[in-house]
Amino acid sequence: MRRPEVKRLVTVLMVMAMVTLMTGESGDASTPPTTGPHGAFFEKVSYFGLFRARRWMVFLTLGLLAYGLMFLYQRYSPPVRKRIRTVTATPKRLVQMRSSRFAVYAVVIVIALSIPHLVTQSYWMYLIVEQVGVWILLAEGLNVVVGFAGLLDLGYVAFYAIGAYITAWMTGVLPAPPLFHHAIPTLWVIPIGVLAAMVVGIMLGIPTLRLRGDYLAIVTLGFALIIDDYVGNQNGITGGGEGSLTVPHFSVNLGVWHYHWGLNPVPYYYLCLIFVVLFVVVFSLLEHSRVGRSWVALREDEVAAESIGINPLKYKVMAFAVGAASGGFAGVLSAGLVGNINPTMFQYQASINILILVIFGGMGSIWGVALGAVFVQVITSYMDNYQPWGFQINDLYMYIGALLIIMMIFRPAGLMPSRRRRREIKDFEETGEGHLDEVLTGDEI
Amino acid sequence: MTDAATTTETVFDVRDITLRFGGVVSLRNVSMHMNRGEILAVIGPNGAGKTSLFNSLTGVYEPQEGQIDFTNRNGRTIAVIGKKTHRIARAGVSRTFQASRVFSALTVFENVKIGAEDHGGIGVVGAILRGPATRRGEHASDQLTLELLDFVGLRKDANLIASALSYGGRRRLEIARAIATDPDVILLDEPAAGTNPSEKLELAALIRRVRNERNVSVLLIEHDMKLVMSLAERIYVLNFGGVLAEGTPAEIRSNQAVVEAYLGTSTNEGAA
Amino acid sequence: MGFAHFWLSGFDQIRISFWAYLFVGLQNGALYAMIAVGYTLVYGVLGLINFAHGDVFMWGGFGAAFLTRGILGPSVATGWATVGLVFAGLIMGGLVSILVAVGVERVAYRPLRRRHAPKLAFLISAIGASYFLETLAGKEFGYGTNLFPAQVFPVGQTMFTVFNTPVRTLTIITVVAGAATLVVADRLVRATKLGRGIRAVAQDSETSSLMGVNIEKTITLTFIVGGALAGAAGFMYSLQSGIEWNSGVELGIYAFTAAVLGGIGNLRGAALGGMVIGLFGSFAVPFAFEGNTQWVEIYTFLILIGVLIFRPTGILGEKLGRTA
Repeated sequence: MRRPEVKRLVTVLMVMAMVTLMTGESGDASTPPTTGPHGAFFEKVSYFGLFRARRWMVFLTLGLLAYGLMFLYQRYSPPVRKRIRTVTATPKRLVQMRSSRFAVYAVVIVIALSIPHLVTQSYWMYLIVEQVGVWILLAEGLNVVVGFAGLLDLGYVAFYAIGAYITAWMTGVLPAPPLFHHAIPTLWVIPIGVLAAMVVGIMLGIPTLRLRGDYLAIVTLGFALIIDDYVGNQNGITGGGEGSLTVPHFSVNLGVWHYHWGLNPVPYYYLCLIFVVLFVVVFSLLEHSRVGRSWVALREDEVAAESIGINPLKYKVMAFAVGAASGGFAGVLSAGLVGNINPTMFQYQASINILILVIFGGMGSIWGVALGAVFVQVITSYMDNYQPWGFQINDLYMYIGALLIIMMIFRPAGLMPSRRRRREIKDFEETGEGHLDEVLTGDEI
Repeated sequence: MTDAATTTETVFDVRDITLRFGGVVSLRNVSMHMNRGEILAVIGPNGAGKTSLFNSLTGVYEPQEGQIDFTNRNGRTIAVIGKKTHRIARAGVSRTFQASRVFSALTVFENVKIGAEDHGGIGVVGAILRGPATRRGEHASDQLTLELLDFVGLRKDANLIASALSYGGRRRLEIARAIATDPDVILLDEPAAGTNPSEKLELAALIRRVRNERNVSVLLIEHDMKLVMSLAERIYVLNFGGVLAEGTPAEIRSNQAVVEAYLGTSTNEGAA
Repeated sequence: MGFAHFWLSGFDQIRISFWAYLFVGLQNGALYAMIAVGYTLVYGVLGLINFAHGDVFMWGGFGAAFLTRGILGPSVATGWATVGLVFAGLIMGGLVSILVAVGVERVAYRPLRRRHAPKLAFLISAIGASYFLETLAGKEFGYGTNLFPAQVFPVGQTMFTVFNTPVRTLTIITVVAGAATLVVADRLVRATKLGRGIRAVAQDSETSSLMGVNIEKTITLTFIVGGALAGAAGFMYSLQSGIEWNSGVELGIYAFTAAVLGGIGNLRGAALGGMVIGLFGSFAVPFAFEGNTQWVEIYTFLILIGVLIFRPTGILGEKLGRTA
């Protein structure tokens, strides 16, 4: 298989075979296990009522077509691509200019504020807070750990769990009685939840952040698994598998002003929005400060960073703690919103899902991560609810898995790479040099 | 105009250190000292232990025996062995690396600025609140950065990405970053590696200016004998993990044992 | 007093059923050891934790199960048919796993190597590959499916009894197959030219390549060896518990713990670690609170974390691979 054309043809056909398999009929526990693959290839499908063909024939044809197109594209495309580049150059530069930044922020805020007016169905509003809002917070928090400081934390969901369980505990809905046997209003738990998550982040970080990258990943994964197992077992303390009773919704009782968050998701949306903006601002300030620069230095070359007086452990633990804060808050918010806190919300897969959001959006890019989170979560929710083409939620992870690989190969910078990040990648790819052993990152657009 | 003469105040006092790796003895009962304000060179054949000595002075390696004292310009002495690298760096010991380890994806300016900033404390609160103290600190480090970029001649490249610099540019950048921490002593690890004769001259001039104008004592490892002989005021010769000789360039040049140890490689080292 | 009672009753339990625990431990240990070899070799050669290796194991299990079901159907095999089918299952499992392992290498890792991608990109790609393999299996075969191979020997058959404890055929087959494959792998890595290539690349890939070692072939071989053992283990595991789409997750983590415990990069370490983890997991059962076996998992993960924090080089040290 020396000739590149032959190689490409084979590759395309194999990819097509895989796609056939992926989009085919699903197997089931009740049918013989060969049903799935068999159906994927041999099922007769009708297209537009015009003809019926077995799937493998259809996909083979598509594959050959794709190959032909690729061939033509290579031959005739360069001038087309050049045209596209020149046309998009000006808008791109405009967006990256400093002055237009504030305009962009303003537009985003306006859009964000008007969403409750545009989305009329309460169900979707609820999903926006639960599936998108909370996950933006989680993704931004993990972005500080992974994107800024370059630490692969596979157990980030622990901070989310802590925020949620502390809320349940302090509002008195866990089997274990709250502190001083006195339940407190949910809103007041916010600082406690955030603080608790940060403290745990520090405690967890000190022994583990001395480890090198891949070991750190495994250790954090191990912790996540342990907590996963443990929390589900402690019926006496955490309510075990069923979790807590319903956490009371948020309410503010200031004598002069009463407000109670009830079942309407819109107030939660605003609460969430306020804190998202808050965290984004704080993280952004950190990014462009001495702390943020130290993180970059550590990421680039820890040895060199040490030689100018940067204490790696201190800054790594700081990253953990800062990232944990947003995760802890997300936990409190979820508890106030959803009510029932149970272990299924905090399985280790959630950590990986959050990581996927961060990577997809662009590690280290605050905007990228937020947009990536919105994009992925909206699509996920949509697919899960409407199930187009008989879509199953689990299939989504199949596509995500494939997407991760493809992204790492072709666009490791994620959805919105910044200039610095593109530089890093380009530089690394060209020379194979650079001490870029850890995460790639970038600043805001 | 500072006088290039050395004072008798001791910057490094290394007493009888021995460094072992498993069965290999890297440094054997090595004693040396460094005076404030001098340009000191450590030379020796490959494997003699020069890098091990460097790394021991910066806390990368921990000798199993012996003692290393570092005294800063205020007269405070700390024991180096057992301390972490970043602590030693903050006490006033800077270094460069053999292959210039600049932060490739940062700009030239940012590279030096990171060195100039004070990395003590928590900083998170300051970063968020941006009070007057923080802003003053930022302003000060910005000023120092510009000053140092001028000093090494990289001012015009301030906004260039560090990886875009030439080899020589990166070396100067690394030196600027190392000085930005306001050290008492800077350890240069084979600064002339890969340079041509004219670059060597520039480098020597820069090193002298570092000592004269920035008041930083200089300790360097080098293989290039011509450079060493012209630049250093005092030289230690290491061989097989031990100190073979010590003295002024003239003394070392005429030291029989040293000549033997090198067996004529000294005349070849000068070539690019 | 409850605390002391807990420990005493635990040990008492071990005293009573010592041999039963031992055999279960050996059986599991063999599986872990076989899977651990894949992790340890790939880490030694590439410096990469192959997250997808557990799923390589799982696919091998499915492949072997399919084959045996295809051959035997609902009947039960005895005598020489058993022997033949066991071999067939091991080989099929190994082959499928090799295919998957090499596929993962070609698709998820090689392109990144070509692009000099940073370490993190490899890890993420590995996670992606793992997710993909798991959900593909779940989709194709059914998420609720727990597939058993055909009855290559009567279920629950015991071969003989030792110290009043029955020794099941499955245990014997697993331990013997495990030992045999491990010895073969060990010989391969130590004594053959290809094997020496693996060790050379693990120590210093640049110099190895300068000295004529074909890096790409060596890497492929590493995945082949790891895959083969994992697939064989997959078959035996399927005999024991059936294969599900996520069978690779739990065993993958246990096997990785074993690899780290024994000394990552070290094949013998992986074998040793596997045995230790297997035996530990078995003998720890009486010490699970309220009989809840999740505690055994917790203990094992604690070992993993403990080893990584306090002795990352493992028992036998990082012989094959890189040092810090």
